[in-house]
Amino acid sequence: MLKIIIAVLSFLIMPLDNALGAEKIIYQKDSLYQHIVVLEDPAKRERVYYSNKREGIQGGIYTDAPEKLLFEYAGIAFVSLTFLDREPKDVLFIGLGSGSMPQYFNRYYPEANIDIVELDPEIVDIAKRYFYFKESRNMKIHTADGRVFIKRTPKRYDMIFLDAYQGGDIPFHLTTIEFFKEVKGRLKEGGVIVSNILSQFRNRFFDSMVATYDKAFPHLYIFKGRKSNNFIFIATKSSVMKGKEEIYQRARKIQVSRKMDIDLQGISWTCEYCDEYRTDAKVLTDDFAPVNLYRHMKVYD
Amino acid sequence: MLIKIIVFICGAVVMSFEILGSRVLAPNFGNSVFVWGSLISTFLAGLSAGYYWGGKIADLNPSIRKLGLIIIVPGLLLVAFPLYGTAVSDFVFTKDPGIRLGPLLASIILFFVPSVFLGAVSPYTTKLTICSLHTSGRTIGTLYALSTFGSIVGTLLTSFYLITIAGVKTLIMAQGILLLIVSIPLLFMKLACRQVDSA
Repeated sequence: MLKIIIAVLSFLIMPLDNALGAEKIIYQKDSLYQHIVVLEDPAKRERVYYSNKREGIQGGIYTDAPEKLLFEYAGIAFVSLTFLDREPKDVLFIGLGSGSMPQYFNRYYPEANIDIVELDPEIVDIAKRYFYFKESRNMKIHTADGRVFIKRTPKRYDMIFLDAYQGGDIPFHLTTIEFFKEVKGRLKEGGVIVSNILSQFRNRFFDSMVATYDKAFPHLYIFKGRKSNNFIFIATKSSVMKGKEEIYQRARKIQVSRKMDIDLQGISWTCEYCDEYRTDAKVLTDDFAPVNLYRHMKVYD
Repeated sequence: MLIKIIVFICGAVVMSFEILGSRVLAPNFGNSVFVWGSLISTFLAGLSAGYYWGGKIADLNPSIRKLGLIIIVPGLLLVAFPLYGTAVSDFVFTKDPGIRLGPLLASIILFFVPSVFLGAVSPYTTKLTICSLHTSGRTIGTLYALSTFGSIVGTLLTSFYLITIAGVKTLIMAQGILLLIVSIPLLFMKLACRQVDSA
């Protein structure tokens, strides 16, 4: 009898064991906001962390090449540089993750001033201890709520990256038209907003995100991840629309002058205009923003 | 029976209001642990003050009419909430009393008074429904259970469903209307049962 029980139990445990593979937990900690687990997979040479297993990974690096971008979406996000008609001087990141995006930015644009806003002090600690993140004279972390920071800061930015997540959701107050208008108010002329939207294509949340960005900004461009459910939304303050050829040429110029190790030109060619995604979905507001419920509501045409 | 419904509704409104309160504060104060801490402690402070005060006035000539008056106050405050909610939150934000004091102050101004009155409903209705000391335990137990059960329903309904069908301000206003609907008839009612052995 006991043998049968053991056999059944090991059968149940087996797939779990396989799924975890060679990954091992190297650190975990309960912060004020989440249970953070840092995992390492020596075979794949990846180190990542998550706060909610079901909702996926929040940040990560290659252990043998921490300066490279592990995630496809992070690379796509840098296509935003092609929408800025000048060199970026002041850049803001909302949501630190493992810090690889600002670090990457800093590597190719060492002269730019980078501000990073992160709500959870434990994440800051982990980025520094496990993901080789270093603050410097022109790359500073501010421990604060993203929206409160945006409202209070007197600074104006060339680029603002929005990548704040709580589990799998963007906190609702960072998805509303009021927030986007506040963000727009912190952009310099011709400035660019870059937003990582992790979403199934499509659900009500995705459609509402398109509608809200579309309403808040003159132009919205969308880049779709091929290997992931990430979409990069790029919204510009300028009312001049960018053509595909123009974006491509600009990407080429940046690629040549900065020698980035991502295929900026290839990515730039995948640009889509928001017309292709436009629906009559509801615009999210401070009064109405059921982000997490909308994420689980499918859209039927 | 009416009293039981009222206790249930007040329990539901308190928690629903608290959930919605987090949405009222987030645009100015974010989603930090300080916001949740401020919000929860303000509601608890309001409720405990309400329990104390409600118990005290329940001993002074309790009547179902006065119960109606107690419920009308939060009813009116919630109906008018869209008029002052954002304004108060914005005002505290511009004064910038700090990341902890900001959300706490806004919570107190917006949520303390309604929760005092909603808290007072519990002891007051208990006093009104206790007809005999022999069954007082059961009466108290029933009302506690109904109030908390109402809170559960209010929490789940709001966070799982209501938030997708209407805006935060509309929902708060609707709850105010609900409170007015149940409280106004009370003003014209008489007590069904006197405290036979209250001496």
